[in-house]
Amino acid sequence: MIFHIGSLLLVIALVVSFFGTVVGYWGGRTRSANLAASSFHAVYAVAGLVLAAAVILWYGLLADQFQLAYVWNHSERALPLFYKFSALWGGQAGSLLFWTLLLSGYSVAVALTFRTRQAALMPFVNATLLITSFFFLVLLVFSVHPFEQYEFRPADGQGLNPLLQNYWMVIHPIMLYMGWVGLTVPFAFAVASLLSKKLGNNWVRIVRRWTLIPWMFLSAGIIMGSQWAYMELGWGGYWAWDPVENASFLPWLTATAFLHSIIIQERRGMLKVWNMVLVWLTYVLVILGTFTTRSGILESVHSFAQSDVGPYFLGFLILIIFSFIWLLFDRMPLLRSESAMDSVLSREAAFLANNWLFTGIAFAVLWGTFFPMFSEIITGQRISVAAPWFNKVTGPLFLLLFVMMGIGPLLGWRRTSANKLREQFTWPLLLSLLFALVYWLLVSKQFYPMMGLTACLFVTATIVQEFLRGVLARRAATGENPFTATWQLMRRNGQRYGGYIVHLGIVLIGAAVIGNQFYVQTTNVTLAQGESADLAGYRFTYNGLSAEHQDNRVEYRAYVSIFADDGARLLRTVSPQRNVYDKNPDMPTSEVGIYVLPSEDLYVVLNGWSENSATFSIFVNPLTLWLWVGGVLIVLGTLIALWPHPRRKTVPAPAGVPVRA
Amino acid sequence: MNRVIHLLRLTLLLFVFLALGQPLYAQDASTVTADQVNEVARELWCPLCSGVRLDGCELKACDQMKDEIAIKLAAGDDTESIKSYFVTQYGPQVLGEPPRSGFNLLAWILPVAVLLGGGLFVLTRGRSMMQDIRPAPVASSERPVPDDDYARRLDEELARHD
Amino acid sequence: MTEMTRLDEQPAVSHAPAEDVLTPEKAAHQRRMAMWRLIIVGVLLAFVAFLVLGLQRQNVSQQRASGMAPDFEFTTFDGEAISLADLAGQGVVLNFWASWCDPCRAEADLLEQTWRREQNNGITFIGLDYLDQEHAALKYMAEYDITYPNGADIQSQAARSYGIKGVPETFFISPDGKIQSQVIGPIVSQADLDRRLDEIRP
Repeated sequence: MIFHIGSLLLVIALVVSFFGTVVGYWGGRTRSANLAASSFHAVYAVAGLVLAAAVILWYGLLADQFQLAYVWNHSERALPLFYKFSALWGGQAGSLLFWTLLLSGYSVAVALTFRTRQAALMPFVNATLLITSFFFLVLLVFSVHPFEQYEFRPADGQGLNPLLQNYWMVIHPIMLYMGWVGLTVPFAFAVASLLSKKLGNNWVRIVRRWTLIPWMFLSAGIIMGSQWAYMELGWGGYWAWDPVENASFLPWLTATAFLHSIIIQERRGMLKVWNMVLVWLTYVLVILGTFTTRSGILESVHSFAQSDVGPYFLGFLILIIFSFIWLLFDRMPLLRSESAMDSVLSREAAFLANNWLFTGIAFAVLWGTFFPMFSEIITGQRISVAAPWFNKVTGPLFLLLFVMMGIGPLLGWRRTSANKLREQFTWPLLLSLLFALVYWLLVSKQFYPMMGLTACLFVTATIVQEFLRGVLARRAATGENPFTATWQLMRRNGQRYGGYIVHLGIVLIGAAVIGNQFYVQTTNVTLAQGESADLAGYRFTYNGLSAEHQDNRVEYRAYVSIFADDGARLLRTVSPQRNVYDKNPDMPTSEVGIYVLPSEDLYVVLNGWSENSATFSIFVNPLTLWLWVGGVLIVLGTLIALWPHPRRKTVPAPAGVPVRA
Repeated sequence: MNRVIHLLRLTLLLFVFLALGQPLYAQDASTVTADQVNEVARELWCPLCSGVRLDGCELKACDQMKDEIAIKLAAGDDTESIKSYFVTQYGPQVLGEPPRSGFNLLAWILPVAVLLGGGLFVLTRGRSMMQDIRPAPVASSERPVPDDDYARRLDEELARHD
Repeated sequence: MTEMTRLDEQPAVSHAPAEDVLTPEKAAHQRRMAMWRLIIVGVLLAFVAFLVLGLQRQNVSQQRASGMAPDFEFTTFDGEAISLADLAGQGVVLNFWASWCDPCRAEADLLEQTWRREQNNGITFIGLDYLDQEHAALKYMAEYDITYPNGADIQSQAARSYGIKGVPETFFISPDGKIQSQVIGPIVSQADLDRRLDEIRP
C-alpha cells in the first residue's frame, strides 16, 4: 500500500513540476508576481513530494520489503544497515530518485536564497530547474519504476553489488551527484539571464558562487572515486580513463574553464558569449554523462545494468542542446564585449590560453570516450581507446596547463611591464631551472617526468611567493604577526588566496600522478608461509591467512609484514584481503593492504591462495599520499574562496595605475 | 554489449585463486616469471573487458592469455612480436589505443587539429581585438612601483577582487 | 567545440544600431556568421545522430543474425581452410565457444557425440573459437575429444557478423544457407538438439 503511495507521489511531483515549469516561464515573460510566486511553491512542493517518495523507498530498503523489485535486486537481509541505507543509490531506479532528490534540494536552496532578490530572473531559474526535475520524474514514472512490486514477497533479496559494499562507495556517489546535480543551477541562471535579457554582471556573481559549490563536490567526488578504485579494485591504479570516469571528468573540465573565464567577464566585460557556451556545455556534459552511464551506449565496467532510459535521455539532450543554441543565437547582439585585449602579456591572455587548453582537453576526452562507438558504427571493427591514447593525447596538454597555472596569476590585468615580469618570475624560474638540473643529473633522465615535476615546482614557487608578498604587505600595513596576517589575508581575500590553495592542491595531484605514471615498481610473487619477497628496498614476508564470516561475506585475510633496511626494521604488518559474498560468490572483491609513507605507498594485493602459499601483487607507488592531500586542499581552498568575507569599502582603482597581480 | 560483459562476468569467469593449484604455465614456460609475463601484459588490454589492462585482469581468459605470453617468452619471442600476435588473433582492441591507420587515424588527428585550429582562432581573435585597441589609459604602466607602496595597492587590488 | 569561440565578440560594427545600411562588409560578415551557425548546428546534429545509431546498436536481439547466414571462413587448428560457402548443400551447426567459458563445457560432450552420429547424414558441425588462447583451446578439445572442425575466429569476424553477445551460442543453418534456429547459452538436451537438427537436414 505504502509503495503505491510512493508511485503516486512521483506522479503528482511530475504533474507539479510540469505546472511549475510552465508557470515559471510564463510568469517570467509576463512579469506576473502571482505566477512567479506559484513557481516558488512548485519548487517546494516537488521537493517535498520527492523527499517523501525517497523516504518510502528508504523504508522499503531498511525494512527488507523484498516484494519491491528494487529492494529485492539491491539488498538482502544480512546486508549491514549502513549499506541498506546506501542501496538507495546502488541501482538504476534508486539512484535516479536520489538524483531527483538532490536536484530538488538544490532548487529549494536556490529558491530560499533568492526569494526576495533577483525577481526578474527567479521565475526562469525555477522553471529551468523544474524542467530538469520534470525530465527525471518522467524517467521515474515511465521508465525505471522504483516502486515496482511483485505479487508475492520473496524471503530474501539478491544482495547489493559487492563492489558497492565499501564505505567510499557510500560517500563517493553522494559527492559526485552533489556536483553533477548542482551544475544545473548555473545553467538555470544562464537561461534565466538570456530569457530576461538581464545580462549585466549581476548573474555573473551569482553564477560564480553557485558553480564553485558543485565544483567542489564534483572535485571531491572524483578524488573519492579514485580513492575507491585504488583501495578496492587492486590493480595499483586510481584512474583508468573509463567512460564513466570520463563522464564525471568532462563537466569538471568545462566548469573549471568557466570558473576562470568568468573572472574576465566580471573584471573586463569580455567573453560573454563564451561563458554562456561553457555553462551550457557543462550542463550538457552532465546530462550526456548520465546518459552514457545509464543507457549502456558505451562499454564500461561501472555502468548500471541496461535499461530503456536511453531514448528519453536522447530526447532531453536534443531539447537542451538545440533550444539553448537557438536562444543564444537570438540574444547574441546583447552579448557584446565591453573592452578589448591590451597585451599578450596580460592576465586576460593567460585566461584565454587556460580556456583554450581546458576546452581542448575536454574535447580530446570527449572524442576518445566516444571514438570506439564512432569507429564501430563506421568501420564495423572494435577498437579500444584506453589509457595509452588518453595519456599520449592529453599528457602534453596537462603539462602546458600546469605551466600556465604558474604564469597566469603573475601577470597583471591589461598588460605587464618588463620590470614587473622580472620581479615576478626571477625567483620561481631560477628555482625551477635549478631543480630541473639537479633532477636530470641525480634522479632520472626521463624527459616528461622531469618537465612535469619542474612545472609543479614552478607553480608552487609562484604560489609561495604570492603568499609571502601578501603576508609581508599586510604586516607592513597593519603590523600583524605572521599567523594573523596569513589568516586575515585569506579571510579578506578569500577568492584569490583560496584559489591559490586550490592550485596548490592541483599541483600535489599532478606530482602524485607523475610519480605513479613513471616510477611505479611492481612484482607478482607466490610466497609460501614465512617466505619473503624484496622490492624497492623493502622486504615483504607472508605470515599466514585467516578466514572469517562477517554479515554477508567471508573475509580472507593474508598477513604480510613489511620491513625496511633489508629486513632489519619492521614497518607494519598489512592485511590485504578478499571478500567472497554469499550472494555473489563469483564476484570476490579485494581490499588492498597499504602502508602509506610520504614518499611512497607500499601496496599489497592478495591475488589468490592455496594450502600454504599465497600469490600477491606488490606495488611501490611513489607520492600517492599527495593525491589525497591535494584533494583535501582543493576542498579547503574552495571553502576559503566561498566563505563570506567581511564587507568593506570598495576602493576605486585610480585609472591608469597598473594593477598588480 | 554491457550486458554481455556482465553475463561473462557472472557466468564465465574463474578467478586466479579458484584455479590456483593447477600449474600456472605450461611445462616449457615454467622458467618464465610472473614479472616477466606482466612486463608484456602491461602493454596489452583484455579483449573481453573495457579498459582493463591485461596484468590487472582476473578473468580466466586473461590468465590464459598470460600463459600464452609465458609460452611465447620461453620460445624466445620479444614483446613486439607477442603484441602483434595478439593483434592478429583478436584485433586492434587489445592495444588500448586505435591503430594509426585508416579511419582510426582520425582518433589521433582530430584532437590535434581541433586544438591547433582553436589556438589559431584564439590568436587571430586576440590580435584583432588588440588592433581595435582604444587609447588605453596606461601611460604610467612602465613606471617602476616603489615597494612601500605595495601594501596600499595590494589592498586596493584585493578590494576590487571582492 | 572550439568553433564556438568564433561566435564570441564579433567586431562591434556588425550590430551597431546606428548603421542600418547594409554595407558589403556587413553583408559578408553576416554571411560568415550564418555559415558558422550552420556549421555548429551541423556538428551537433551529427553528434546526436551518432548517439541515435549507437543506441540502436544496443538492441541485442535485433543485431543477431537471422535469415541468410552470413558467410565466414576460417582455418581449423589442423590447418584446413573452410568457408560456409564450401558447405552448401549440407546442414551446418555453427557453435561459438571458448576454453575459458564454463557453460560451454556443459554442451561440449553432447555436441561431439551428436556429430559422431550425424557426420555421415549430411550434417556438419563447426566450432568457432571466440577470443581464445590456442594452447588452452587445444587442451580443452583434447579433454572432450572433439573431432569436428574447429578453429579460431580470427579477430572475431564471424562473431561480429553473427552478432553473438557471448559464448556459447549456436546457429543451425539449413542446406540452402538459411539460419533456421539459434540457441543462446549451452544446449543441454539431446531432444532439443535433435529437433533442431531435423530442421536442417538436406
